[in-house]
Amino acid sequence: MKKSDELVDVVDGVAVVPVGSPPLRRIRPWPLGAALAIAAGAAVLLLAGTQWLNEPAVQAWRTVCLAITVQALPFLLLGTALSGAINAFVPADLFTKVLPKRPALAVPVAGVAGAVLPGCECASVPVANSLIRRGVTPAAAFAFLLSAPAVNPVVLTATAVAFPGNPAMVAARLLASLAAAAVMGWLWLWLGKEEWLRPALRHRHTGHEHGRSRWNEFRLGFQHDFLHAGGFLVLGAMAAATFNVAVPRSVLDAFSGSPWISVLFLAGLAVLLAVCSEADAFVAASLSGFSPTARLAFIVVGPMVDLKLIALQAGTFGRAFAWRFSTATTVVAVTASALIGGALL
Amino acid sequence: MKRPVQALLLTLTGTGLLHTALFTDIYLRYVKAGLRPVLIASGAVLLLLGLAAAALGDGQRHTAHDDHEHGHDHAATPRVAWLLFLPAISLLCYAPPALGAYTAARSNTKPVAVQKGFAALPATSPLPLTLTDFTKRVQQDRSRAIRNRIVQLTGFVTPAEDDDGFYLTRIIFTCCAADSQTVKIRVHGTEAPPANTWLAVTGTWHPQGALGTRTAPAALDVKDTRPIAQPVNAYTDDLPLTPS
Repeated sequence: MKKSDELVDVVDGVAVVPVGSPPLRRIRPWPLGAALAIAAGAAVLLLAGTQWLNEPAVQAWRTVCLAITVQALPFLLLGTALSGAINAFVPADLFTKVLPKRPALAVPVAGVAGAVLPGCECASVPVANSLIRRGVTPAAAFAFLLSAPAVNPVVLTATAVAFPGNPAMVAARLLASLAAAAVMGWLWLWLGKEEWLRPALRHRHTGHEHGRSRWNEFRLGFQHDFLHAGGFLVLGAMAAATFNVAVPRSVLDAFSGSPWISVLFLAGLAVLLAVCSEADAFVAASLSGFSPTARLAFIVVGPMVDLKLIALQAGTFGRAFAWRFSTATTVVAVTASALIGGALL
Repeated sequence: MKRPVQALLLTLTGTGLLHTALFTDIYLRYVKAGLRPVLIASGAVLLLLGLAAAALGDGQRHTAHDDHEHGHDHAATPRVAWLLFLPAISLLCYAPPALGAYTAARSNTKPVAVQKGFAALPATSPLPLTLTDFTKRVQQDRSRAIRNRIVQLTGFVTPAEDDDGFYLTRIIFTCCAADSQTVKIRVHGTEAPPANTWLAVTGTWHPQGALGTRTAPAALDVKDTRPIAQPVNAYTDDLPLTPS
């Protein structure tokens, strides 16, 4: 039954999507294939030597890639544990009782509720996933997903430290992030289609089942979600490290002249660099050649859309969802930061 | 991914995190020091999870029928999870070094914060200073206290574009190596050692422009250079922890 959705997120784009649901447990040939590929890779490595791994550029890439992974792993674990706990221990109707009945009202409430999840963006993807599985309307869960990494106290404090004597930047970040998250929630209510989400998310019947040990269920769910999201995290970290090493910082100032181009440029840079939301304010502060509005766009877009988040979302919610959602979020977040930055900064 | 492989992957990742954060200082090459307790906790959790997965397996004796009825099959992990082996093995056996001259040569110098008042400089000579403090003294201190003082700076070597000297460099980050920033001081009057060599350089300010204003370059006329061991706190612009 569930075999269909794990085959969808094959990395290399040659996914074989099975039609229908095969009634029998299929024999999966890929562990053997992967073992052969790894053995072949090791053989090539031994034959060609490991010298290329020590080229300065490759070393810098490996360092940045490992740094993103290592720094995100604890937050991913936290998010996975929270999501597993929500699945196994929280009664199914709790969220539907707490949130307003009307989805249009639930969206801003969920956006503001994002302030309670301290940490980076990697934690919020699994939590939003488990909220949807628990019956929260997807629009509200997405508002939470987008606002949580940007409006929590840890990140706002870091922003205040990075921009000393400039409280308007903190206020602008808070407002622009909340506004973009709420608009994205409403946009989903208006235009979103459930069939973009992975099949597993559409029928919401997971969570605790009678007759099974809650702890065991928690452990297995935790293990599954962590391995799943962790793989996509590594994929995203590889992509982000590639841009981090390939794009030298010294070319950046070439784009700081025109106000409109610089807003778009820094928004795009936030997507490519995938800096953690606790640190992005410091990077933004160092981009001193750019206008305050452009720097605001950098710290508003960064926690909502970046390469590792796109990879995580593609793994969690499905690829059809991830590219539509990320594109729309980028547009909305840039607009929100341009409007609020223009008014406040 | 089969259950034993999942257990192995979780155990390896957990061991890798514990190896970098608990038993060695390798984690400092990648993330800030404050993340250490969280990394150790994560490593322990992953290790326990892997051991539990190896010991308990599925934890239930359900039939094939049960397996199909159950709505969420946790046995099925997508093959993208294989990628997690890369950081796990890299952490355990083949940890890449801290960022160095390659990154520094391609980045701008981090802008130095504006400081209002400057305390009097201590009388010791040579005077140990961080690269940031030296830049501030040269470009912002109106009292020009740094003039004619012999200072000692530490950092690693980044080759300069031309042949005269090199850049003494520190790479700083806030959260992890992905948000690194570079502080550079130009060193004049010596042959450039190989890139990434850690040095303690003593010398005086390289007179050019007006001292105490932005026109003064953060540059040093070298008197003496001495190789030092890479400090533990390599990703900061602090004075070295080891006695120099």
